[in-house]
Amino acid sequence: MLTLNNKVLAAIVALLLAFLLQVAVGPSIAIMSVRPNFLLVVTIIMALVNGPVEGTLVGFSAGILLDLLGTGAFGPAALVMCVVGYLAGVLHERIFAQGWLLPVLVLAVSSFLYELFYLVVILLLGQRMSFFSALFTKAIPTVLYTTLVAVVVFPALSRLLREKPMMTTVRHMPRGMGGKYE
Amino acid sequence: MPPLKITPTEKRKRPYFWLIILVVLSLVLITAYAREDSGGPLHGLRVAVQTTIAPVGQAGKWVTTPLRSFAAWTAGLGVSRSELVNLRAQNAKLRAQIVELQEADHAASTQTALTDAAQTGGYKGVTANVIGLPVSQWERVIVVNAGSLKGIKDTMPVLGANGLLGQVIEVGPNYSKVRLITDQESGIASFLQNNRAQGITRGSLSGDLTMNFVSMEATVTAGDTVVSSGLGGVFPKGLIIGQVSKVSKEVNSLYKTIQVQPANDMAQIESVIILTNAPPDTNNLPKAVPTTTSAQGGN
Repeated sequence: MLTLNNKVLAAIVALLLAFLLQVAVGPSIAIMSVRPNFLLVVTIIMALVNGPVEGTLVGFSAGILLDLLGTGAFGPAALVMCVVGYLAGVLHERIFAQGWLLPVLVLAVSSFLYELFYLVVILLLGQRMSFFSALFTKAIPTVLYTTLVAVVVFPALSRLLREKPMMTTVRHMPRGMGGKYE
Repeated sequence: MPPLKITPTEKRKRPYFWLIILVVLSLVLITAYAREDSGGPLHGLRVAVQTTIAPVGQAGKWVTTPLRSFAAWTAGLGVSRSELVNLRAQNAKLRAQIVELQEADHAASTQTALTDAAQTGGYKGVTANVIGLPVSQWERVIVVNAGSLKGIKDTMPVLGANGLLGQVIEVGPNYSKVRLITDQESGIASFLQNNRAQGITRGSLSGDLTMNFVSMEATVTAGDTVVSSGLGGVFPKGLIIGQVSKVSKEVNSLYKTIQVQPANDMAQIESVIILTNAPPDTNNLPKAVPTTTSAQGGN
């Protein structure tokens, strides 16, 4: 099990790695100028495996890193990323399923929410673009690309960032609760 | 007053606590950045980070070269294994030599073309290599390896080998960020070379260039050259922007819409030249009318 310090360290390492990938690899693997958002992947996986507080904190940090890379306003990515990290963490607390399909689905939805919220925020801050054009030519393709990357890295990254070990045994109901072996 | 401390139990009960704090902090950052000048702490932090990571982008281009080469190599997998081994052995040495010579030739010709492009207009410039491609899908901004230490300043025009490429929007000690003319935030006062019809050439989210506000009376055909007009005081007059690729007339529109093919291939930019002495053509700008009234001063 990760201790608090180990967990913080793991989150920092994952964020820095994602930041480096975003700067060094992201531009080179762009397809039609769409590139995956590695920092968002780390945020959502952190939220999915640890909950809303961790998702919010890591989301804000990841957003600040993204804002540092940009040229426009400073803060929109931090704003949206911490909200999406929180929402993904709340979803995590409602989900009691193992496997990868449901987390990836949540990741895709969270990624879409991020792109949608971010688009709305930068439009409100004065960016000139058509909402629907941006949604269909940039936001949705980015969601697909990011989700594809997330599917690849989810197993390893979730193991790295998980606070508690994954439950792999069937939990027996205690005596007095109508358990089968009572 | 007791210090603010969130226990694990409270953390679980009130997970939105941090959300509220960080949302407020984000809004404060957005406001502070918008209100501070370019020498402010947040601007400074951004420049410091960009300066630090500039080599990372360059390293990334180098690191991912094998990936791109591999993708190209897989296209030729139809060759049998034995043939491939023989060809590899025979060609390894030649290939290395060819690549080396091609790179040297390419660098020399690019350098010459860039210098020619600048000298044609009588401008001085600083050549630079592209070390960072656009990081975000929302903007078309590249990073080049020349900054304030080489005399680069904000708003300087940037040329590619075939014409106007963009404008410097951020300068660090050893890097500059260049907004490409195809970026949606880019707008250039321009005219058609053959009939002098004026318009504004804008980029877009998709990377297409469009010349707007061209009069319906103007005769425009595909292949016409679009150049900067110098109006607006940003870009000097006469820099080639691109060629007209398509002309359309929207119903009920007062102006023609003209698609422009950029002079430079934006996906293949490796070197640029930043014009350091390119004042805009002020002859075309409206002259300030001198005050003739005797009243001076005021409050």
